[in-house]
Amino acid sequence: MIEILVYGAVISAIYAMLAVGFTLIFGVARILNLAHGAFYALGAYTVYALTANLHVPLLVAAAIAVVGVGLFGVAVERVLVRPLRRSQLAVLMITLSVGLMVEQVLLLTFGSEARNVPSMVEGAYEILGADISAQRLLALAASIVILAGLWLFMQHTRLGSAILAISQDAEAARYMGIPSDRIYSIVMGISAGIAAAAGVLVAPFQTVIPSMGLLPLVKAFSIVIVGGLGSIPGSILGALLLGYTETLIAFEVSIEWSQIVSVAAVLLTLVLRPAGLLGKRAAF
Amino acid sequence: MPLLEIEGLVVHYGKAIALEGVTLTVEPGELVGVLGPNGAGKTTLLKAVSRVVPASGRLSFKNRDLGPMPAHKVVGEGICHCPEGRRLFPELTVLKNLMLGAYLRDDKDGIAADLERVYGLFPVLRERRTQQASTLSGGEQQMVAIGRALMGRPSLLLLDEPSVGIAHRLKNEIFRAIRDIRDSGTAILLVEQDARSAMAVADRIYVLEHGRVTHEGTPASLADDDSIRQAYLGV
Ligand SMILES: Nc1ncnc2c1ncn2[C@@H]1O[C@H](COP(=O)(O)OP(=O)(O)OP(=O)(O)O)[C@@H](O)[C@H]1O
Ligand SMILES: [Mg+2]
Repeated sequence: MIEILVYGAVISAIYAMLAVGFTLIFGVARILNLAHGAFYALGAYTVYALTANLHVPLLVAAAIAVVGVGLFGVAVERVLVRPLRRSQLAVLMITLSVGLMVEQVLLLTFGSEARNVPSMVEGAYEILGADISAQRLLALAASIVILAGLWLFMQHTRLGSAILAISQDAEAARYMGIPSDRIYSIVMGISAGIAAAAGVLVAPFQTVIPSMGLLPLVKAFSIVIVGGLGSIPGSILGALLLGYTETLIAFEVSIEWSQIVSVAAVLLTLVLRPAGLLGKRAAF
Repeated sequence: MPLLEIEGLVVHYGKAIALEGVTLTVEPGELVGVLGPNGAGKTTLLKAVSRVVPASGRLSFKNRDLGPMPAHKVVGEGICHCPEGRRLFPELTVLKNLMLGAYLRDDKDGIAADLERVYGLFPVLRERRTQQASTLSGGEQQMVAIGRALMGRPSLLLLDEPSVGIAHRLKNEIFRAIRDIRDSGTAILLVEQDARSAMAVADRIYVLEHGRVTHEGTPASLADDDSIRQAYLGV
């Protein structure tokens, strides 16, 4: 019981990090980013490469991974997405290609076997009789801090207001003198950086393989549909719902069945409430 | 020397032509009204000045060519646009909406002074400052929209139909504010459906029909023109 509570919290927190970034770049720039899972995988592999091959200290490697992948996100937006941003279809194809490209490069560089990333914190804690690894608790705490930091940034900085303004009325934002192209790049960077942070945090207890980004992309997309595309509170609510349902089914039934939850939730949402739980309007 | 000079301005939406060679000037501190029927191109004219729709022809402000500037640079030059339909940021508070008008500014003291000035023009906004913009009445939302544009400290304010769909009492308050803004030295280009109110405040008027300027002059001279009296003043 207590395992379900804690494991569910950890998985929900990771899902929330992925979904918030995914929904943010869609809500602001209307970019449906199919490379989002690749950013997550790149985060994990960057830490692996820096620690295993170059012997960089783990925390430094983590910071480099988050910032580096964030900058990679900026470059993808600036160079590849921006020229064709007006076409949703082109954006889908471009980001899908970037995702596949990243996966292939990881495969060619590191091979297909699973890689081990050391834990940032060792040991385990006993919580009400259940053993929970310290790394999982760290992942939970770090994602709460990151999401809270994002919220503070959005609520209390001028840049945060500008991001919210564009997502609510892009044309009006132009009348304010907000340079939308620059904001899109920044938001892509933030979104990619948060996805990388999720990858870094789970790398020690997840299988690090080149295709590791696919499932998280599907999960992020599902959560965001359930919560309402473009809605940040919706994506957090969706992450909690999905994270806990999956954990519950994994414990009580089987891991295989838990993977059906997200797909079923998406279909159910699209049929019953296309705008999602907290969405303003149907995104499709 | 005029503040804003527009010469031979042409705007297309795809194949359709919305402005066919409009020429217009605004002097510093002047309140210029633009009248015209629905679909005449009034909104398009203001959007072209803001560089939100692409246009050809000459557009110069303070003797600088606006043509090559992106929209956000135009705001930095001192042109602030209060758009048709208000277009507030609905989920943000009144105060945040106002502060976004000052997005490009860094002078803290100046911003605080301008916020006081906006509250002075529209005292109700001070009470409503922590309220979500979407919960305000139409008239109050219009006040936020005007105040938000003023927060950019414009030397030219573009106002697109500020009185449309607003109760009579609030309409008077808005026109009084428009007069105050002009009296404090800000030039205004005012698009308005309510010809009577516009002619009462404007220094000069242009009449736009089918994308062309058909009449221009002082309100008094236009009021003498029979065709204008019939079409716009209904007498
Ligand atoms: N985005 C657009 N795409 C295509 N045509 C447009 C667009 N915006 C305006 N038009 C057309 O351009 C012409 C001028 O429109 P505009 O909005 O400038 O008129 P207006 O004088 O402001 O009218 P109103 O008094 O109704 O606000 C109209 O025929 C309109 O249908
Ligand atoms: Mg109009």
